[in-house]
Amino acid sequence: MPTIALDVPSIPNLEMVRAAARISVSTSIECLLVGDEGRIQAVLDELEYNPEQIGVLPGGLGTETALTIGLRAVARGDADAMVSAGNAHEYVTACSHTLGLLPGVRRPALAAVYPRQTEYPGQDRLALLLDAGATPRCGAPELVQYALMGAAYARRISKIAAPRIGLLAMGRDMVRHDEILASANAALAAHPALTYVGEVEGHELVRGRVDVIVCEGMVGGVVAGLMEGFTGALVDVARAPGEQRLVWRVGMRLFAEGLERVQALTDFGRYGGAPILGFDHVVIKCQARADVTALGNAIKLAAKAVRDGVPAAIAAALGGPAAP
Amino acid sequence: MSPSVRFRLGRPAPLLCRWDLDKTYLHSEFDTLRQLWRTAWERAEDKVAVPGVPELIKAMKAAAERHGRQIATYFVSASPPQIGGAIRDKLALDGVPYDGITFKNQLEHLKRGKFRNLREHVGFKLGELLRGRRLAPPGAHELLFGDDWESDPLTYSLYADVLAGVMPAASLDVVLRRIGVDPRVVPELTALATELRPGVVDRIFINLARRTPPRALRVFGSRLVPTFNYFQTALVLSGMGYLDPVDVVGVADALVTRHGYTDRRLGYSLDDLVRRQLVTPHAARRAAMALRRAKLLAPGRPSPAVVRLRDWAQDLRARRRPLAPRTALDYGSVFERFPNLARARAAEGKS
Repeated sequence: MPTIALDVPSIPNLEMVRAAARISVSTSIECLLVGDEGRIQAVLDELEYNPEQIGVLPGGLGTETALTIGLRAVARGDADAMVSAGNAHEYVTACSHTLGLLPGVRRPALAAVYPRQTEYPGQDRLALLLDAGATPRCGAPELVQYALMGAAYARRISKIAAPRIGLLAMGRDMVRHDEILASANAALAAHPALTYVGEVEGHELVRGRVDVIVCEGMVGGVVAGLMEGFTGALVDVARAPGEQRLVWRVGMRLFAEGLERVQALTDFGRYGGAPILGFDHVVIKCQARADVTALGNAIKLAAKAVRDGVPAAIAAALGGPAAP
Repeated sequence: MSPSVRFRLGRPAPLLCRWDLDKTYLHSEFDTLRQLWRTAWERAEDKVAVPGVPELIKAMKAAAERHGRQIATYFVSASPPQIGGAIRDKLALDGVPYDGITFKNQLEHLKRGKFRNLREHVGFKLGELLRGRRLAPPGAHELLFGDDWESDPLTYSLYADVLAGVMPAASLDVVLRRIGVDPRVVPELTALATELRPGVVDRIFINLARRTPPRALRVFGSRLVPTFNYFQTALVLSGMGYLDPVDVVGVADALVTRHGYTDRRLGYSLDDLVRRQLVTPHAARRAAMALRRAKLLAPGRPSPAVVRLRDWAQDLRARRRPLAPRTALDYGSVFERFPNLARARAAEGKS
């Protein structure tokens, strides 16, 4: 069974401990909690948990962060994957110092999972956007690698045999006139291992046309943040009139179920977290405000990625030797 | 008894181990009527022991003999005597040495129309423990083994307080009535308690079959030790001097070879006990060394000498701490924490 290292201080209120306790009694996944031992045990004592599946690694009190200590545990084989809700940039930097990049990988990529419309029955209702902020600027070769890594991930995790790849742009003109995008567009179209559908504009992100969208980190980070913020604002805006008029309040009551469905669909926390692709081990980034359910999903996602051999699949897609 | 006590007395005190059966020794399932029916008709070879428990009982016997300590093992079960044959066969199949077994005569309660007594086990178990004590060798220390499924923590704590001489008959009477013990049985129990010569229950081990959060059981005091598996129980017993590291290795080996435990799971279980302060780091290190020698635990990094010295001193202090409390438990707090145990009060509230 995979062992997942968890960066406890990266989430307030020791929610990571609660998630690990829940996972320990409902699955066979093992968790290695990295943080203040005393505080961790104090929380565990209050919960149903299985100590056979929960290890604790003291960390985060001295100069070394719990994240670094957890990543070291992953690197030496005491854990198989890392889950943290820390800052994306710091996370990637810590991974770069502790873990190895897969052979041939130029830059790691944060792959944001987001909900989208489906075009046909059985289509995965989640798409992958990368890079969502691991590397702010990149060139065409990196964009092609993102496509290869994203496709390998989608094949293993979403079980899509031939994931459709799109290049995020502001239209055909931009692809034609921007040197990096033009070069990436040509390389993606010519790549025999990719099912490339061409450039994808902003309004097409939530359609089911593509399974993997590639872009540079700066753009991807803004897009992922915008989608997340927009759905939250949408729900707030929809609720606001209800506070002003009784008729609207009644209307909102009738609409409540639908609104909750929208909220559930667009609640990014529920999808468990975003994998950072390109390292020789599985690393998952959660949201800082993730709740126990979301963290539990992140742990399950990490375990699934380990079991399905995602790093090895990415290494194979990039043409290098398999990851450890 | 800790080695230091053994040294002072010269010869170790006799040891009396009393075990519950269902959910403590056996993996009994009776959440539904169908499961209850199936359990009643199960043959010995179909019954499943909780991982590590037969090996633990055997190890305790072996360790006692090794150290010249007299030991007796008894089972007290609230199951009806009609399934006694299968249980005895199961214990024989497992090669478990024991000195006696008692069942609850449920048919008698049924015949007399005492339906409430069918589900009320505190009165029955306490009575059996008190009667059994009269036959125990003088000065015998006791270890009690139960689970968190029903009322073992309460029954065993009551018995331990009575044996320690800190539970007056009047207080026992009040508590038993509050639990809802048959009022006709209460005077008999208090009389048995009054006759009892003081003794010591060293520890009450509760197998967390239901995964009750450990903090919930703190209301029963530090005498009660909640453990998640019998490897943990063996480790605590080793820390107390009732088992040697080699015995812990035997229990761990059974878990690995027969029940699919891994070195990592054993290591996590050991660390959990240290974090919950149920074994001292020194005792844990001693056990870990033996486990590593047997290749049941992954190699660890050696601790600095100063840490080892500090842990050894802490271990000494822990061994000198008195085992039995000087006052009875606060049963009001117990009922507050576990309201389902105070059946009489619930019934009064309804009326």
